[in-house]
Amino acid sequence: MESAQTLLMAGQVYVWIGLAVAVVFLGWGLDRIDAKGHGSWMFRPLLVPGVILIWPLVLWRWQVLARENDNLQNRHRPPLTTQRLMGLGLVLAIPVLIAGALLLRQDGPLERPAVMLETAAETSSNE
Amino acid sequence: MSDRYVPVQWNPNKWLYDAVLIACVAAYILIYLNLGNPAADVTRPADGAIVRMRAFGTCAFFMLTAILCIGPLARLDRRFLPLLYNRRHFGVITAVVAVTHSTYVLNWYFAFSPTPRLEALLGANTSYGQLLGFPFEAFGVFALIVLAILAATSHDFWLNFLTPPVWKRLHLMIYPAYAAVVAHVVLGYLQDTKNPAFALVFGAAALSVAGLHLAAHLKDGAARRAKGAWIPVARPQDISDSRARIVKMPDGRRAAVFRDGARIGAVSNACAHQNGPLGEGRVIDGCITCPWHGFQYRLEDGCSPPPFTEKVPTYDLRLQDGVIEIAAEANAPGTPVTPLDVPEASDV
Ligand code: FES
Repeated sequence: MESAQTLLMAGQVYVWIGLAVAVVFLGWGLDRIDAKGHGSWMFRPLLVPGVILIWPLVLWRWQVLARENDNLQNRHRPPLTTQRLMGLGLVLAIPVLIAGALLLRQDGPLERPAVMLETAAETSSNE
Repeated sequence: MSDRYVPVQWNPNKWLYDAVLIACVAAYILIYLNLGNPAADVTRPADGAIVRMRAFGTCAFFMLTAILCIGPLARLDRRFLPLLYNRRHFGVITAVVAVTHSTYVLNWYFAFSPTPRLEALLGANTSYGQLLGFPFEAFGVFALIVLAILAATSHDFWLNFLTPPVWKRLHLMIYPAYAAVVAHVVLGYLQDTKNPAFALVFGAAALSVAGLHLAAHLKDGAARRAKGAWIPVARPQDISDSRARIVKMPDGRRAAVFRDGARIGAVSNACAHQNGPLGEGRVIDGCITCPWHGFQYRLEDGCSPPPFTEKVPTYDLRLQDGVIEIAAEANAPGTPVTPLDVPEASDV
């Protein structure tokens, strides 16, 4: 129970910091780094949940863009290898998980069939 | 393309796509609610709240399965490509269904808990040291967080702000999330259910995701093995007019070699917008036009015509014994390259 409490506390702190980052970033920082955002306000509320969830990433990108040392070439390097490995990981994980869980199941394929320990006659004589 | 952000980019196709999707979700939930009850056995009757929770849970699982199948299907057979274009809306709707599922869980199982509901959920079972009876809820929570992040960062702004590669990496978390969902089901519901139909459908769905990814991987493998400083592409006349040939480069990237009449030029296959497959688009008015959202790039320098500012990398080309060859290394985005002049190709 205690660790659950700590976890939730940490989650709350994370969300509050995210909210603060969202206010500053969407109200002020965004106009300085993204020309397309200029003067368009309608889409900003949509970004709030995203900022709250990934604010460390937002802060990192924000400072890269603010210092203008963004590497344009990088924009065209789709993570093909990572994607391939992730896909392969899934190919392995799914059958392992399913087979493992079936083996684990208490009345799964390895479980001996149920037998009746007392016959009906015994049961009645015991009464 | 646009030079301003709007809340949601909708067009008639997307409206239709979303409408069909939402109708399917509604139909699934309704059918499940009607058929789900008898599936529970007499000793452990499932009442309304549990059936509703399972309806949304299984729905989210099947939607996620569909999302993960679309990618490899489109790589295996181009006819599935149209499904790929609106995957982001699909993802957002899936996240909503998954959140509904979790709300039912919290409001049902922990409705009368003396501690706050979330805390009760996390603290109810902490036997992380054992497999049997493992707190499968943890997997569900992880997947839910990932789905929320992906849905919340699906706006175009994020793509541009994080850059497509970072955005893409973030969105690759869908893979571990799917594995977590499978674990969530096999360690949870599947340990307990007496309903073989669900187990079979579930297994078939999850295994087809694995199978399709394996098939797509094997198909791409052959293309990755080609190497060399100049890579032969095709004869000019083999590329149809205003279309492209897509070439897999040794570094794993792809280039699109376009022919526009007698001019031939090559750019990166990844669109600057969302890394859409430029090579599947066509040349319109001298500009390479992305098939996904219509961003355009000039054939000769990979720059979008003004007032737009997008750029894609270009590639050097040469003609060797009547065959076009492409340089293995890309030029910086927006580098001008004089297009190859092949007057003979345009007469064919
Ligand atoms: S226009 Fe959106 S990916 Fe190319």
